[in-house]
Amino acid sequence: MLLSIVIFLPLLGVIAIALLRGLGASAVKGIALVIGLLTFVISLGLYTGFNADTAMFQYVTEKSWIPGLGTSYHIGIDGISLWLVLLTTFLTPICILAAWNSIEKGLSGFMMSLLALETGMLGVFCSLDLFLFFVFWESMLIPMYFLIGIWGGERRIYATVKFVLYTMAGSALMLVGILALYFQNDNSFDLTTLSGPFEHSNLLFLAFFIAFAIKVPLFPFHTWLPDAHVEAPTVGSVILAGVLLKMGTYGIIRFCLPLFPDAADKYTPLIVTLAVIGIIYGALVAMVQPDLKKLVAYSSVSHLGFVVLGLFSKNPAGIQGSVLQMVNHGLSTGALFLLVGMIYERRHSRMIVDFGGLSKRMPIFAVIFMIVTLSSIGLPGLNGFVGEYMILLGSFVQGAFSKVHVVFATAGVILAAVYMLWMFQRVMFGTLDKTNEGLPDLNAREVVVMLPILLFIVWIGVYPKTFLSKIEKSVDVVVTKVQAEPAMGHLENPGRQDSRLALRETQRAQHEKVEKEAQQ
Amino acid sequence: MPIEINWQLLMPELVIALTLIIVLVFDLFDAISKTVLGWMTIVGAGIALWVSIQMHQAGTVGLQFDDMFKVDNFSLFFNIIFLVSTILVTLISMSYLDRGDRKQGPYYLLILLATLGMMLMAAGNELIIVFLGLELMSLSLYVLAGYFRESPASSEAGMKYLLLGAFASAFFLYGIALIYGGAGTTSVPAIAEAITAENKSPLLLAGMFLLVVGFGFKVAIVPFHQWAPDVYEGAPTTIAAFISAGPKAAGFAAFLRIFMEALPNLQVEWSGVLILLAMLTMTVGNIIAISQTNIKRMLAYSSIAHAGYVLIGLAAANNDGISSAMLYLLIYCVMNIGAFGAVILARTEDGESLMISDYAGLGTRKPLLAMFMTVMLLSLAGFPPTAGFVGKFYLFKAAIGSELYLLVIVGAINTAISAFYYLRVVVTMYMREPEEELEFSPYASTLVVGLILAVVGVLLIGVLPSLMLTPAQNSVF
Repeated sequence: MLLSIVIFLPLLGVIAIALLRGLGASAVKGIALVIGLLTFVISLGLYTGFNADTAMFQYVTEKSWIPGLGTSYHIGIDGISLWLVLLTTFLTPICILAAWNSIEKGLSGFMMSLLALETGMLGVFCSLDLFLFFVFWESMLIPMYFLIGIWGGERRIYATVKFVLYTMAGSALMLVGILALYFQNDNSFDLTTLSGPFEHSNLLFLAFFIAFAIKVPLFPFHTWLPDAHVEAPTVGSVILAGVLLKMGTYGIIRFCLPLFPDAADKYTPLIVTLAVIGIIYGALVAMVQPDLKKLVAYSSVSHLGFVVLGLFSKNPAGIQGSVLQMVNHGLSTGALFLLVGMIYERRHSRMIVDFGGLSKRMPIFAVIFMIVTLSSIGLPGLNGFVGEYMILLGSFVQGAFSKVHVVFATAGVILAAVYMLWMFQRVMFGTLDKTNEGLPDLNAREVVVMLPILLFIVWIGVYPKTFLSKIEKSVDVVVTKVQAEPAMGHLENPGRQDSRLALRETQRAQHEKVEKEAQQ
Repeated sequence: MPIEINWQLLMPELVIALTLIIVLVFDLFDAISKTVLGWMTIVGAGIALWVSIQMHQAGTVGLQFDDMFKVDNFSLFFNIIFLVSTILVTLISMSYLDRGDRKQGPYYLLILLATLGMMLMAAGNELIIVFLGLELMSLSLYVLAGYFRESPASSEAGMKYLLLGAFASAFFLYGIALIYGGAGTTSVPAIAEAITAENKSPLLLAGMFLLVVGFGFKVAIVPFHQWAPDVYEGAPTTIAAFISAGPKAAGFAAFLRIFMEALPNLQVEWSGVLILLAMLTMTVGNIIAISQTNIKRMLAYSSIAHAGYVLIGLAAANNDGISSAMLYLLIYCVMNIGAFGAVILARTEDGESLMISDYAGLGTRKPLLAMFMTVMLLSLAGFPPTAGFVGKFYLFKAAIGSELYLLVIVGAINTAISAFYYLRVVVTMYMREPEEELEFSPYASTLVVGLILAVVGVLLIGVLPSLMLTPAQNSVF
């Protein structure tokens, strides 16, 4: 029940705004903020009541919905979705506050879209029924489409259409996959009863994986992302980077890995290669971007490459690191987009050449920007480090793909430092341009927007155990499923299971070491 | 020999026939406002709808007139589709006809006559009855398409529809003749018995293919679709809405009845053809729709594409396939009439704005109209939580159940293609600034009521599909 309230409270906000929009802009903003905060506060109850000792789904509600189609309203969360749900409810009120003064036309429509989007995103993370999952997955598209298309930049229409078509092409494949699973799951869409091996598992894996890879986006499906980010309003970018991209990686960890371990094994080399290409390519392209927002967008391609790499390491350290990194990326990149948005509102330009020496004019902005930049690079003590370190460690001990991949991926960390710090230097230091002399520093509202994010950036960096302890058990289940002895095809290698068990033991020991290190 | 008639079974048809006579008589009196005739049509169709629903729930079934007329849940479900379409079309027609000195009496009369023809088609248990129903419906529609005599476009539409429609009827009749030659009967169950593994005479096969052609024309399946865009564009918009809804459903009703019940033993022969036609119809309809700038033509091509989706259900040829095709037709009728209704609502002093570019800025200037249009287009595109999503999902599910993976992939990709042009209208309404300020006429109340009904229906079925899904699943013959 609690979970249903969290999912549908924002929708209630949509209806409230639709009915009360006549009361004026401040009322609309007030309702949206209250609903956003209320949803967050209630969702904290999910955290406090969450039992970290079990990998079972919690807060489960199951009600018959369309018996004729074999689908039910079945929701619940585990340690993986818990953090993504909290990330969503956390970022939404921040977005509402961030958009406080920047939306000139159609404010009520904007807030309605944002809240409807929140319901869609929460629904995706909580659905335990494939049909329900698909409904939320698709319905999310419409508010996002409006957010970019109405309140976006100049080429917004091109960007929205591209975004929608890419996603729909992916979901078309996923739909076929979902239906095919239905008939192999005893005519039911229930995710919890799904267990392989499935017929045509390679094709099914690809059907799901491509849909998720487009969303992540994994190289070479990433071309919609820079367009969407650049044209989206600030809040759209924050939600897009913060939560929407995570749907792809969440889908991989929820469907692709546990349901089709054989196929996942088979395609690991290919996928990991693409992930590493994404890491390097994203970083290199980010380096040469003249536009701040585009730079951050390409850095997302690079960061999400790390997440995919960690997922396909298929061991606890790597996958836990990936889940943590999803949250980290949501916080850091979300914060970066917010900061870019704030500076854009002042100067109406995002070009790096237009800036320089801002640290003298805007000291508060400079400090916050510095912290977020360092978190994005992965400086020890901040959140990015923990996730990236665990991912790299997990990938390095894993035998599924060569260490060459990991070496190249590590180079991505260095490149990240290059493009982020170089950008920081050009924007913040040097001589102050005359046109920028009048720029005001952050006001109280903007500081309030940023502070909670900074809090978590430091918290995760210093004491990740708060977060990892809840993730652990659920990740173990995924790892067990994905490492289970494949039904056929590997019979020529009987020692495999033993070696895997041994590998897992060493991994666990290593992983505990990482945690200790990270805490220090 | 006296014929025993079970009047109860014929209630929906009788109610419509009676309404028809009442409208005809009242049309004679000039003193009576012509909108009253519209209300009579709605009330008559409403009663028939209520009776059909009651009979459907009670499971009142039976045969009439020497087994030529079959009342079962299948025909009753289709009655519901036809009557819902008729009511919605009448609602959106009333304000549309109410300008200038157009004669309104014959308009409602012909709509009722066409509805009666459709009901005959769904209940026909005999190829000749199906043909009679088809002609009754088609002849009324030819006149309706050319109803605006003073408009050359409307006359052209009527003439074109008549010529091509007559062609189609000829194909259909020829098909019946050949099947009679092969099977020695025109009764649906008797044909099924006559066709065995040994008796698959070339006459039967040729007859079957001619029937496919005839139906193909009537429901606008590629490559027999060329008439549709011209007729939709030229005909009065309300009639375009009508032709795209009820008659298409009626065509599919007879299509389903004949192919699933009379020719199941030829399934090996026809299933491949239908799969091919479904893919072709969806793809051609959607791709040509992309390049349309006139909204009526766009909706015409979209309705061709939707016929392709329904064919998926026929090609699946299982129980889920039949009921998903029926459910989809119901949903499609509501959303398509709704979309045409929104087009009528977007009316300026010089007539309707038919160019998509005229809709720029509608989102802020006419929020209600833009909302109606958006819901309908999202449903046509198949986004949740609208009915269009559920309908399409069920169709795809039925096809996967028959292991038609390729067909479903083509269908799903087509859904993505179709989203492109439906969303383009939404883009124009909400995201583009108007080039010139068009003066839109004030809303007509009956039209708004019709649209509200359509929106509520589309959202209600979208959120609680069981309301219509369960009846559809209970309606497989």
